[in-house]
This record gives sequence, structure tokens and C-alpha cells, in this order.
Amino acid sequence: MTLRHLFPARARLAAGALLLLSAGACFSKRVTRIEPTAVTDLSGRWNDTDSRLVANQLVEQTLAAGWAKRYTDQHGGEAPTVIVGTFANRTMEHIQVGTFVKDIERALITTGAARVVASSSERGELRDERKDQQQYSRADTRARPGQELGARYALTGELQAIEDVDGRERVVFYQVDASLVDLETNTKVWVGQHKIKKYVERARFGL
Amino acid sequence: MTPNKLPQLAPTVFITALFAAACANPKRIDEGVLTVMRNGDRIEAPTRAVDAATTQSLESQIAGRERRDSLNAVAFGNCAPTVCASLGRGEIALGMTEAQVLAATRSTDIAWTARRSGGVAVLSPRDAEAGPRDAAGPVALVQLAGGTVASVTYREPQGLRTVSNASDANDANRTRAVALVKEGDALAAAGDFTAALDRYDRASVVNRADAELQYKMAASLDKLLRPIEAELRYRMFLNQLEIQKIDAQSNANAKLADAIARARERIIVLEKK
Repeated sequence: MTLRHLFPARARLAAGALLLLSAGACFSKRVTRIEPTAVTDLSGRWNDTDSRLVANQLVEQTLAAGWAKRYTDQHGGEAPTVIVGTFANRTMEHIQVGTFVKDIERALITTGAARVVASSSERGELRDERKDQQQYSRADTRARPGQELGARYALTGELQAIEDVDGRERVVFYQVDASLVDLETNTKVWVGQHKIKKYVERARFGL
Repeated sequence: MTPNKLPQLAPTVFITALFAAACANPKRIDEGVLTVMRNGDRIEAPTRAVDAATTQSLESQIAGRERRDSLNAVAFGNCAPTVCASLGRGEIALGMTEAQVLAATRSTDIAWTARRSGGVAVLSPRDAEAGPRDAAGPVALVQLAGGTVASVTYREPQGLRTVSNASDANDANRTRAVALVKEGDALAAAGDFTAALDRYDRASVVNRADAELQYKMAASLDKLLRPIEAELRYRMFLNQLEIQKIDAQSNANAKLADAIARARERIIVLEKK
């Protein structure tokens, strides 16, 4: 008795479909939501973990430095005004510096240590809106022009990387430098730094 | 070993060299790498630092404002009308008390260092760069005699400017213009006529009737090979001199005699061009 006699055509078709389905299931996509604070290193390149490490360190350093308290004490309780400038990415990687810069900005605002004014890229839109209000808004609700706060300090910085590769091994070193510069005198009132070193080893066999 | 055996030994030498090269690997530095973070670890936000900073900044802002409010109360409590007006504008005025100086600069005593001897006190900012300022500019020094302000010195781009009487206070722009002319002279002497002209231009906005300034601008334009503008400036210089008055006050303006002669000479030359 042959296989054809044992299993009718319909049964064979169903078995084939089941086999295909189970094979497909092996390669299906799996998405899991994980905690944003979790360390997840996949490729060894700059990732969210590095960004958070840098943000935490720079926030701690800038809040502990005492420049804001000194200014506040000397100006009768008025917090200094800060503008966030450019953080240059001087690495070969595409790195979103905005993530940790926004974290520093948020820390300055939430602690009340400094007043942060809109950066040059944000100002254009705000000025357009204010200009628009002068023509179309009710007089008692218009935001007055010429009332912007001038920043006393500018927060700028840069990100650099050094890479060393040999066969399956790779070492990447990132250095983030941030500084707060007095806009009138160009004096640096605070300099923050954070360094990250990663050792990446690829498996001898594997995809 | 005879020289004719050397070719036979060549493979042996080559293999030996190959082995030697293989052994001479780059030196590995293994100091027992310390892993500081692994996949699955957690990075907590710097909550403690943020909380501490929030408390600290709140405390120092409240303390500063309270101190300023009490100073304002004292300052406005017994001020003469002119001093009160200056306080309202945020300007230090001659005759103000120490509390009024602090109120005018919106600062507290923490911002200043005071040296006192006899009836004289000198207040200078504790931090020269981010020190207190009034509506006129950053203050470098305040001198008090008998409890009231005798002179105020401002830190300005051209240097320090002292106000010790009422006319000085109104002459702030004139003092700046004089400093600009000096800067322009120095630049012209160094051969940078473009920069010199820029300083003279800025000074001429305040000192419009200064004939000597017109001459300096004309000379700079002349040196920059801008004959039309130079000629115009030479003419303005001569017009502003009011020649008839010069004849009457020849001695007073004798120092400009050379300049007049030179201006006339240049007008003739430039006209011919």
C-alpha cells in the first residue's frame, strides 16, 4: 500500500500547510516593551544607554558646580538665564545629541537653578507667532514684542570618539564635553565631561 | 659557510623569518578589564541630585528675594524725590545711601565687598565679571563718603568711566565718543584705516559738530582711496570751522592751522582728479 493510498489528497494538503505555517512561525517578528532605563547593547555603537549615562552625569555635574547658586546669591535671588547652543558631533557615527541636551535643559528648568530661553532654532517660530498676534489677537491678550530675556550664559559642547579595531575586537571611546560660557565676557563658568569606553567582541562563528 | 651555499639556505631563512614574525604579535595589554555595565542593568535618573538642587535653588532664591525686599523697604522708605526716581529707573545716583545702591542694582550685600575707613566706604563687586549692574551698565566701584555715594565707576567697553558730579552722569555718551576717537587714532596710527573710520563714524553720531573728527574721517577716507567721500568730509570740516570765527579766535584754533591748510590743498588735488 502506497503513501497515496494511506493519506488522501486533502490530508496531505493540510499537513503541508501546517508545516509551512510552523516554519513561518520560527521566523516571526517579536516585539517586547522594555523599561527605558534598561541597558541594551546590541551593536556596540552609540545608543540610548550612552545618551542617558551622559545626561545623568552632566546633569549631576552642572547642578553640583554651584555657578547657578553663586549667580543667584549675587543677584538678589534671581536665577541666571541660559540658552542652549550647539553640541557638535565630531564622531563618524550619526548621533542624536538632542536627547541628552534636552535632559540637561529639563534638569535646569525643573530644579529652578536657571531660566532657559528658547534657542536660536526655536525663536523664529515664536517670533512669527508674536508678530501674528499683533495683527489678529485681541489687544488685551497680545504678547508684547521686545520683552524677551537675554541669556547670560550659553551651554555648548561637543562629542568625540576614538575607535580601535583588531580582528573580532573593537574598543570605542566616547568623550562628551559641555561648557557654560558667559555671553558677555566669554568666560567659561562651568565645564562638564563624561567618558564612555566600550569593548565589543564578535563571536568567532555566527551570523 | 661558502657564498654558493646561501641560495640553498634561502627557504630555511624564509620560514624562520615567517615564524619570528608570527611570534612578534602586537603586545596585548590585559589588565583585567573591569566591566561596569552589562545588558539588563538599569540606569536610574539622578533624582537625588535633582532634588537637592531644587531645594538649594529654591532656598537661595527665597533668601535673596527676602533680603532684597527688606533692602527695598529701607531704600524707598526715606529717599528724596530725585533719588526715588533713580531707584525706580534702577540707576545709582550721587547722594544715595548704601542700601539704596543695593536696591538700585537689584543686588544684596553678598554681591559686594566693602572696605571702610573713617567716614569713607568703597564697594566693589565680589565677582568682577558677573557683578551687579545698574541701568547704565556694570558697576566697577562705588565710593561713599559720609554714608552717601560720592562717585560711581562703570566698567565700559573703552575702559572705566567715573561719575563724580551731575554733569558726568549726563555725559556718558560724550565720554564714550572721546574714547572711540582715541581708539580710532590708535588704529589709524597702526595703518588700519577701515577700523579707524568705523570708530570715527560711531563717535560722530554723538559729536556731530566736532570739526577735528570730520578732518580725521576725511583723512582716513583719503587714505582708503575713496576720493568723493573724502572731498565731502574735507568740505564739512572747513564749513564746521566757521572761518570767520577762526580769524577772530586765531590763537585758540592755531593748532588746527596745519589741518586747514592740508584740507584746502587736498580739495584742490581731489577736484583735479
